[in-house]
Amino acid sequence: MNKNIPSISKLNNLFLDKELKPSELFEQVYENASFTESILHAHLELFYDEGLENSKKSDERFLKGESLGKLDGIPIAIKDNINVYGYKTTCSSKMLSNYVSPYDATVIGMLKETGSTFTGKTNLDEFAMGSSTENSAYGPTKNPWNPDYVPGGSSGGSAAVVSAGSAVASLGSDTGGSIRQPASFCGVVGFKPTYGTVSRFGLIAFASSLDQIGPITNTVDDARIIFDNIQGYDPKDATSIKPEYTEPKNKKLKIGIIKELMQEGVSKDSQNEVNKVTQLLENSGHEVVETSLPLTEMALSVYYLIAPAECSANLSRFDGVRFGLREPASGSYEMMNKTRAVGFGEEVKKRILLGTYALSAGYFDEYYGRALKVRSKIISDFQKAFDDFDFLISPTTPSPAFKFGEKTENPLEMYLSDLCTIPANLAGLPAISIPTGLSDNNMPLSIQLMGKPCSDYSLLDLAESIEDMVSFNHLPKITKGDNES
Amino acid sequence: MSLKPTIGMETHVELDTESKMFCSCKVVETDEPNISLCPTCLGLPGALPVPNKKAIEYIVMLSLGANCSITKEGMFHRKNYFYPDLPKNYQISQFDFPVGVEGSLEIVIEDSLHTVEIERVHMEEDTGKSIHLGSGRIDSATSTLLDFNRSGVPLVEVVTKPIISSAKMAVAYIEELRQLVIDLGISKGKLEKGNLRFDANISVAEEGSDELGVKVEIKNMNSLKSLEKAIDYEILRQTKMVQDKESIIQETRHWDENKQVTLSMRTKEGSADYRYFSDPDLPNMVINEEFIKISQNQIKETPEKKRKTLLDTGLSLSDSNYLDKGQRWLYELYLSTVKETGDCKSTFNFLTGELQGQMRKADIGELPQWVNSEKLASLINLFENNEVSFTSAKDILAKLLIEDIDPKSFASDNNLIQSSDNDEIKALVTSVINENQDIVERLENPEDKLVGFLVGQVMKSSESKVNPGSVKEVLLKELFG
Repeated sequence: MNKNIPSISKLNNLFLDKELKPSELFEQVYENASFTESILHAHLELFYDEGLENSKKSDERFLKGESLGKLDGIPIAIKDNINVYGYKTTCSSKMLSNYVSPYDATVIGMLKETGSTFTGKTNLDEFAMGSSTENSAYGPTKNPWNPDYVPGGSSGGSAAVVSAGSAVASLGSDTGGSIRQPASFCGVVGFKPTYGTVSRFGLIAFASSLDQIGPITNTVDDARIIFDNIQGYDPKDATSIKPEYTEPKNKKLKIGIIKELMQEGVSKDSQNEVNKVTQLLENSGHEVVETSLPLTEMALSVYYLIAPAECSANLSRFDGVRFGLREPASGSYEMMNKTRAVGFGEEVKKRILLGTYALSAGYFDEYYGRALKVRSKIISDFQKAFDDFDFLISPTTPSPAFKFGEKTENPLEMYLSDLCTIPANLAGLPAISIPTGLSDNNMPLSIQLMGKPCSDYSLLDLAESIEDMVSFNHLPKITKGDNES
Repeated sequence: MSLKPTIGMETHVELDTESKMFCSCKVVETDEPNISLCPTCLGLPGALPVPNKKAIEYIVMLSLGANCSITKEGMFHRKNYFYPDLPKNYQISQFDFPVGVEGSLEIVIEDSLHTVEIERVHMEEDTGKSIHLGSGRIDSATSTLLDFNRSGVPLVEVVTKPIISSAKMAVAYIEELRQLVIDLGISKGKLEKGNLRFDANISVAEEGSDELGVKVEIKNMNSLKSLEKAIDYEILRQTKMVQDKESIIQETRHWDENKQVTLSMRTKEGSADYRYFSDPDLPNMVINEEFIKISQNQIKETPEKKRKTLLDTGLSLSDSNYLDKGQRWLYELYLSTVKETGDCKSTFNFLTGELQGQMRKADIGELPQWVNSEKLASLINLFENNEVSFTSAKDILAKLLIEDIDPKSFASDNNLIQSSDNDEIKALVTSVINENQDIVERLENPEDKLVGFLVGQVMKSSESKVNPGSVKEVLLKELFG
C-alpha cells in the first residue's frame, strides 16, 4: 500500500488525537496533486477553494468533538462521469465540455453527509469506454509507476490519483472492469460492489445493466469504509436493491480458481500471483480448488454486444438540444447530426454503431437477443459455482500495464484486457482487485476475488486477510515523497 | 367489385395522475412553458426513471375495464428515435409484454350492440411539445421552441384489432373508451384538451377476401367529428384508387380541417426500425394477484355496468347509451327518479327533454340543490296521472329551477290541478253539446276529428282545469253511448 498516505482509519485517529487537521491533510494532498498533475494529468479539475473550505469545517467539527465519522475530512477524488452539483461533469468528452451539473448524484449526496472533501474530478476514457484513458478527449492519464505506461481505464484518473497520493481515495465506475483493471495497473485496491447495492442515480450511464460505482483506495479497509458510506437502497434508482449481506457458512473457506482465466492468453506473471496467493490461503487453512466455468470464454463477446447496445440508447440524449455541445446548423436534424459527429470520439462512435447494429430489425435475435441468452446462462453458471465455493479467484488482468499506443491499433487486444473482469459485471457479482506483487519491469500485479451477490462485506474481509499476508508495500515512481528522496 | 373497409384504432389516453410517469414532477395544465421539470424528465445525463405506482394501478384498471387479461410480468422497453422534444431520444414504452392483452369493449351503434376486440393496452411516457416557427414543420422551421412540461406524463395506448368497419363504429368505440376512462376516474377524458388522441389505420379490400389492403395511418386526431370525416374521406379516396387501378402506398396522413381532406405526411418505407429493447434502468413490472385486486377494487363504475343498470330499468338500448355517455349527474338523477316514478320512458323523456332543455335555455349549468329526484318524480307523476296538464308541468318545472317549491302544493295553490270530477265534467260537456248542436249533428263516429274540437271547447270553458282524457271519455259516452 501507499505509505505516503496513511489509511483512512489511521487518518481518522490522527484527527481525533489532534495530531493532524483535515485542512492540513487537504493541503498536503493538494500539494501532491500540484506536483504530480503536470506529469500524470489524472485530475481534470481540482476543487481547491471549496475543498479547503470544507476541510476547515471538518477542522471545527473535530475541535468541538462533533466529527461525523471516519470519512470526515478525508479528501476523495470523483470520476468525471459522476455528477457533482455546480461542477462540470464532462465524461472526458467534447460533448460535455461545458456541461455543469444541476444536481448531485446520490453517492455524492451521501459522501457530503459524511463530511468528506472532494479533491476534484478525475480523467477517464470518454464516457467510460476504454481500458487506458487514451480515449479521453482531454488527453490520457499517465501511470504513476511509470509514465510511459497507461494507468488502465476507464477509471484511470481515479486509480492514478490514489496511487500518486493526490487523493486519499476515489470513486470510480465499473462496467466491464473499469475500477479493477486501472486499480490493478496502478497498484491500488479497486472494489466493484454487487450490482444494485450502490445507487447509479447521477452516474452518467454507459451500460445501465452493468455499470456500478465503487471505491479505489490504498487499503481494503479504506474500500470497506467508503463502500459502507455509499451503499444502500435508493428510491431514485429502480435497479437499486435492499441488500441483505451474507456471511460464509464456515470460517474455513472454499475458494475456486477459475481454470479458464489461468490458461493461454493470461501471462505467466499474472498466473503466478494467483498461485502465490493460493499458497498463502492454503497455509492459513482454506481450501483452494481449480474449477471450470466454460462460458467465461464467451463473456467478452457477450459484453461487446450488450454494453454497446445499451450505450447506443443511453448516449442518444447527447444531441445538442438541451445541454452540452451544440454545432451550428440550419435545422434541428442537421444540428443533432453535426453535434454528434463533432462531439463524440472515435471509440464512442464505434460502440454506438455496433450497438445500433446489434439492436436492428433482422439482427436483434442473432446478436443482442443471443447475447442476453448467454448472459443468463453465465449467471446461472456462477450461481452453481457458488453452491460449491464461497469465493472465486483469478488474475485481475491478463497482463500488467501496457505502454501508450501499444494497443490502440488493435482494439481486440485492448478489449482483451477486460477478459477477467467482465464476468462479474455480466453476473452482477461483487469483485475486488488487490495488488500482490510486481512484474519484471516493476509494474504492479493483482489478483481478483469474486463473491456471490451481496457477499460484499465477507469478500472484503477475505481480501483484507490476503492483503495482510501479501503485505504489498511497494511505492510508485511518481509521488511527492519519491521526488524529495 | 365490392370493397369493404377495415379500420384499427390506436388511442393515446393521458392519465390524470398527480405526478409524471417516471419522476415526481407534477403534471400541470398550463400554457407557461417549462415549469415542471427535473433531471429525469429533461433527460439530463445520469438521471434515472422510477415508475409511478399510481399510473400502473390506473393502467391495470383500464385493462380490467377493457376486459383484458393482465400480463403478470410486464416489461418496459426503449423505443429509439430522434426528435428534439423527446429528451432521451428514446421513449420508454412497452413492446412484447404490454400490461393488458386480448380484451374487448361493448359498443352501441344506434340500437344495436357490437363488440370491438382490443389487442393490447400498454404504458408509455409522453413527449414534450414542439412549436416549429415559420412553417409548422420541423424540416422547414426557422426555429423550434420546446416545452417539456408534458415530457414524461403517463400515457396509455389502447390498440384495437383491425375489425372496425365504419366511421360510425370508430366514433362509437372512442365514445365508449372515453366514457370508460372517465368512469374509472383515471383520465379527465377531455377531447378538446387532447386527453385522448387517436390514430386510425385504414385499408380497403375486396369483400370476402381474407387479406387486408395496404394500410394508411391517419395520425393524431382529437375530435370525433374529424375522426368520422377523416375515415369517411379516406375510405372514399382508397376505394376510388382501387377502382381506378392505382396502387395505394403505405403512408402516414393527417386530416386537414380546413381543406377537409387527408394529406400525406410521410411515406413509410417498410416499418420504422425503433430498435426496441428492454430498458435496463427498469426492472420487470411484476403485477401480482394482490395488485390486481387492489386495482379491481378501485373500479366503481364502467359504462358497460352503467348501461346494464339503465337497461334494467326498462329503457331502450339507445336511450340507455345516451344516459351512459351523458353527464354523471343526469345518469344518477334518472336512476333515483325512475325508482320513484316507476315509469322509465316518461322519466327519461322529461329529464332529457324538458329538464335539460329548460336548463340549456335558462343557461343553468348545475342543477340547484333543492331540485332532487323526489320533487322531479312528484312532478312527473302529476302530469302522468293527468293531475296537471303538460303545459302546467313545464311551468312548474321552470318555477322549480329558480325557487325551492313543492310541485304538488304549488300546483294546487296555483289552481293548476285538473279536475277529474265526473259531475263537473258532465255539466261542462252537456253545455258544450248544447251550444254546438250543428257540429254534433255532423259527427259520424268516435274517431271523427270534430271530437277533438269539442274536447277543446270543453277545456276552454273550464280554463284547462279539467283533465282532457276524462273529458273525451265523458263526451264520447254522451254522444255515442
